[in-house]
Amino acid sequence: MNVNTPEFSTALSAPIKIAVRDLNFYYGKFRALNAISLDIPEHCVTAFIGPSGCGKSTLLRTFNRMFELYPEQRAEGSILLDGENLLTSKQDVALIRARIGMVFQKPTPFPMSIFDNIAFGVKLFENLSRIEMEERVEWALRKAALWDEVKDKLSQSGASLSGGQQQRLCIARGIAIKPELLLLDEPCSALDPISTARIEELIAELKKDYTVIIVTHNMQQAARVSDYTAYMYLGELIEFGETEQMFLKPTRRETEDYITGRFG
Amino acid sequence: MTMNADAKRETSSKAARFARRKRFNQIAIALSMIAMFSGIFWLAWILWETVSIGISGLSMAMLTESTPPAGDAIGEGGLANAMMGSFLMVALATFVGAPIGILTGIYLAEYDPRGKLSFTVRFINDLLLSAPSIIIGLFVYAVIVLRFKEFSGWAGAAALALIVIPIVIRTTENMLALVPAGLREAAYALGSPKWKVITRITLVAARAGVLTGILLAVARISGETAPLLFTALNNQFWKASLSGPLANLPVTILQFAMSPYENWQQLAWSGVFLITLAVLGLNILARMLSREKL
Repeated sequence: MNVNTPEFSTALSAPIKIAVRDLNFYYGKFRALNAISLDIPEHCVTAFIGPSGCGKSTLLRTFNRMFELYPEQRAEGSILLDGENLLTSKQDVALIRARIGMVFQKPTPFPMSIFDNIAFGVKLFENLSRIEMEERVEWALRKAALWDEVKDKLSQSGASLSGGQQQRLCIARGIAIKPELLLLDEPCSALDPISTARIEELIAELKKDYTVIIVTHNMQQAARVSDYTAYMYLGELIEFGETEQMFLKPTRRETEDYITGRFG
Repeated sequence: MTMNADAKRETSSKAARFARRKRFNQIAIALSMIAMFSGIFWLAWILWETVSIGISGLSMAMLTESTPPAGDAIGEGGLANAMMGSFLMVALATFVGAPIGILTGIYLAEYDPRGKLSFTVRFINDLLLSAPSIIIGLFVYAVIVLRFKEFSGWAGAAALALIVIPIVIRTTENMLALVPAGLREAAYALGSPKWKVITRITLVAARAGVLTGILLAVARISGETAPLLFTALNNQFWKASLSGPLANLPVTILQFAMSPYENWQQLAWSGVFLITLAVLGLNILARMLSREKL
């Protein structure tokens, strides 16, 4: 892999968590990703930006093989998570997903209590005592900056929370399973500015322990929260580098046009 | 000046268009009201007749005694045996039919929504759903009653179950399909196995709708007459078992209402009143359940 191509203008200093190589993705016959190669550094926040339909969510959803739920979707190439190719792995996909947390665009509280929302994922792979589970739930809710608001109503339904709280509940649920990687698919697009600010603070906090990838439509958000940014357009990776450099001095004309709002 | 005239003309044409739209709206509202009242009118009339005639026959005897011989005094005897028989068959049909329906609905919605088998099952289910219930009665008559050479409550319950199954399949599938894909994906993203996603997440999210479907199926079979005519037949004695001909409300109503005896006719009305009350109660329960949110 030649790291001196324009897409790899920055030599990554951090160790690499995910290495994507020549990834093609198809929705039926439609090719949505075209020969994507990039390296996602560990313990950093990487943002995927680009206009609607550019493939940024599609790329994110290949990392936990979410696309396999839909028979007409398929991926070719390789995605190496700590050196192991996820796409050809013999491991059960559930075990792979247990290492990867994901938060979606719309809050998706499960139809159960706040406590059980968090415990659900933990119980799948860990056998904790009641006390250990209570500690884990509190830990996850504190991490997601939700504990103070819900500590007195853990037995209430998750759907009783506000939209911003629900989204933080989903983040807590994602980190409660102690994943190595956290995938955020436009986590703030349905939220008001105050909830958005809280989640952005949270993302900055989370990167100490996890590798975070965030898909966002909001360029200010990408600039605020991420260390690295990938700009995609029509299923191609146009540019990838340190966020600061991408926003101040992009090497590609297309990136500059998009970031400055002349396009997109 | 011309500008002003133009502007005035434009305003007046806008006002004319608005007035026309308003008139059109009033006509549409009037038509909908007429349609609604003509629907409600008949329903209210039916309910009124049922209640006013049926309620006069309500007594302890009607609830505790079995059907009387023809020509007894009015007020003698009751419908206890028919209620018991109906209850037994409806309960068995629901306990057998609802799980089969739910499991099939789960297969259609979660395991193979676009497969060939699902397509076929869905098609046949739609046929079964709209099949006249007398056909189902005749089918069970041919398959069970003729074979065992006996009318029985078992056969009646089987016929009713055959009506429950397609209703529950349809509602379960529809309700599961309404569960947002995001909820399912979120559960899979945690590494959850499929059966757990279904039993803990999607089925729970759809449970109000699924329960509503079952209740509506129960309401439907508690008034079905045709499938019982050839299967459970009827019986004038108290019996709490499903073997042999079994009394039931719909067939009793049919037989009594057609008879020339006044005491039987009065009991038929009471039976109609009871069924109406039960169906109304089930529908209200179904409404309350479907409104409840998790």
